[in-house]
Amino acid sequence: MSDPELRKYPGTTPEERTYFTPYSAFDIPADLRELSGRYDVNATARRVRNFRYAEEWTMMMLGGWMATVPEIPVKTGIAKITWESAQAADTLGKRLPELRCGRKQVEASEVANEGFAGFVQAVTEPEDPDLTVEKLAGVFDVLKPHLIEVYEDTIRSTDQIADAPTIEILEDIVRKTRRHVAWGQEVLDRLCDTDAKRERRRLRKAELLDQLRACGGVTGEGIDRAPTVN
Amino acid sequence: MRRFIQHTELARDSRFMRQNSLNAIFTSLPNDVDQVVEMFERFDPIIAQFVKGTPFEDIYEQYGPGFNLILLNERLRPDETFVELKLNARMHGIFAGELQALEGAGRTLWDFPEAPWDFKMNMARQCWDESRHVQIFEKLLAHVGGEVGQFPESTFLFEAACADDPVLRVAGVNRGLEGLACDIFRDMIEFAKLKGDKLMEQAIDYVLADELTHVRFGSEWVREFTKDDPKRAKAAKDFQREVDRQFSIGGARSAAEDAAIPIAVEERKEAGFTDQEIEELAEVSTSGPTRQTLRDAAEILRVRHQARKQQKEAKEATA
Repeated sequence: MSDPELRKYPGTTPEERTYFTPYSAFDIPADLRELSGRYDVNATARRVRNFRYAEEWTMMMLGGWMATVPEIPVKTGIAKITWESAQAADTLGKRLPELRCGRKQVEASEVANEGFAGFVQAVTEPEDPDLTVEKLAGVFDVLKPHLIEVYEDTIRSTDQIADAPTIEILEDIVRKTRRHVAWGQEVLDRLCDTDAKRERRRLRKAELLDQLRACGGVTGEGIDRAPTVN
Repeated sequence: MRRFIQHTELARDSRFMRQNSLNAIFTSLPNDVDQVVEMFERFDPIIAQFVKGTPFEDIYEQYGPGFNLILLNERLRPDETFVELKLNARMHGIFAGELQALEGAGRTLWDFPEAPWDFKMNMARQCWDESRHVQIFEKLLAHVGGEVGQFPESTFLFEAACADDPVLRVAGVNRGLEGLACDIFRDMIEFAKLKGDKLMEQAIDYVLADELTHVRFGSEWVREFTKDDPKRAKAAKDFQREVDRQFSIGGARSAAEDAAIPIAVEERKEAGFTDQEIEELAEVSTSGPTRQTLRDAAEILRVRHQARKQQKEAKEATA
């Protein structure tokens, strides 16, 4: 039997408080997050739509390339990344109704500006079977490393407490995207086995990076730390 | 990147060769021994060219242009003649089919950017599944002693099924071809069981589970795309029927009791086929020649081939 003097449930007077030790929501384990973030609800929603645009187009372009790359491990490798890009777009879309965008907005992708749309079209451009280097360099040397930078910047800059669901989603996408970039760059290193092919890769990367910088990246807000050209 | 590519544009590495001209023979075989013989004899020069340098050379020497009737018309069983050749050829054919299914699902994502999001999600998932199937069948091909590029590839699957309307694509690929895959995989699992090959049995059983999911995608999207549109529904049904007919491999896949590849009725039901649709499939697939017709034709072709060979050898001896 519990002691009747030790209250488990609060009453209406100061004497009728419970006996449980008080803690702040941030006490155990120690949580140093603070309120405040660079983006309000509308700004976050717009960024999520921008990210979804990039993931959806990545999914579509990789899907299209499966038939036009001759290397079987590239076909099978980009197939897995196609599915994970689709999942990324899907999860980002499901965040939108939670950001006051309405239930119908789960499929809303929004391009930040015409420049980024043009950049994505440039990434999708290579078609012939002898252009695997150009195809992969666009996605794994430029687009996906850029997305990682922006996603991580968003994770750091958004409200750590109020916008935690967006952070959780982006953390998961970043984890997978890092794996995609590691895979893509390993494949590119292997395929670029001559100076001529390495030069093709370098040129493709430089050309697309210029275009990416000019449009301000996936959000159109500028690129702080764009991937460097080796 | 353009939308809607041709089957000739599928990219392959240096191991692959193409062979599409013989497909037409199998899709148009009549149930008449003389006509079947006549068709194969007419294509003999092409067939002789096609088998050169392939593992089919020996069986061609023995059976002549009708050798494929021996390979396709009889069930795959461990104690059968040419079982290794037949198994390798089937594994290679499936490997190439999975490759084209992967490419087809990928192209569907690119070719139809305005398609519903859930449809794209299904196709993206199918890409991953098909890519795993490519990997599985590359491993299984090596497991049975074969290798990639050992046989010419027919791009018939991509050619026949990758239409310019998404509903035709899911009707043709997901319901027609993935349905055929269910029939073939059920038969392969039976073969693996008889052979005591647990590795093959388990791997193909997983693939079969995936294929059911893809057929289900097809059943659901055909319904969704054609609701309130009877004209489109009819077009989808006709297209699937044509794909089913073409891929019945001259009657080898059918509902006949002794079919080389029986229809996997239970799997198809689980994947959303109605009893009526299964009956229709049985009807379509038995519209080709009977097994006895093909056996009789194969025997005539063999005898004639041997006679021609002897004649040629005698001529060379006298010269």
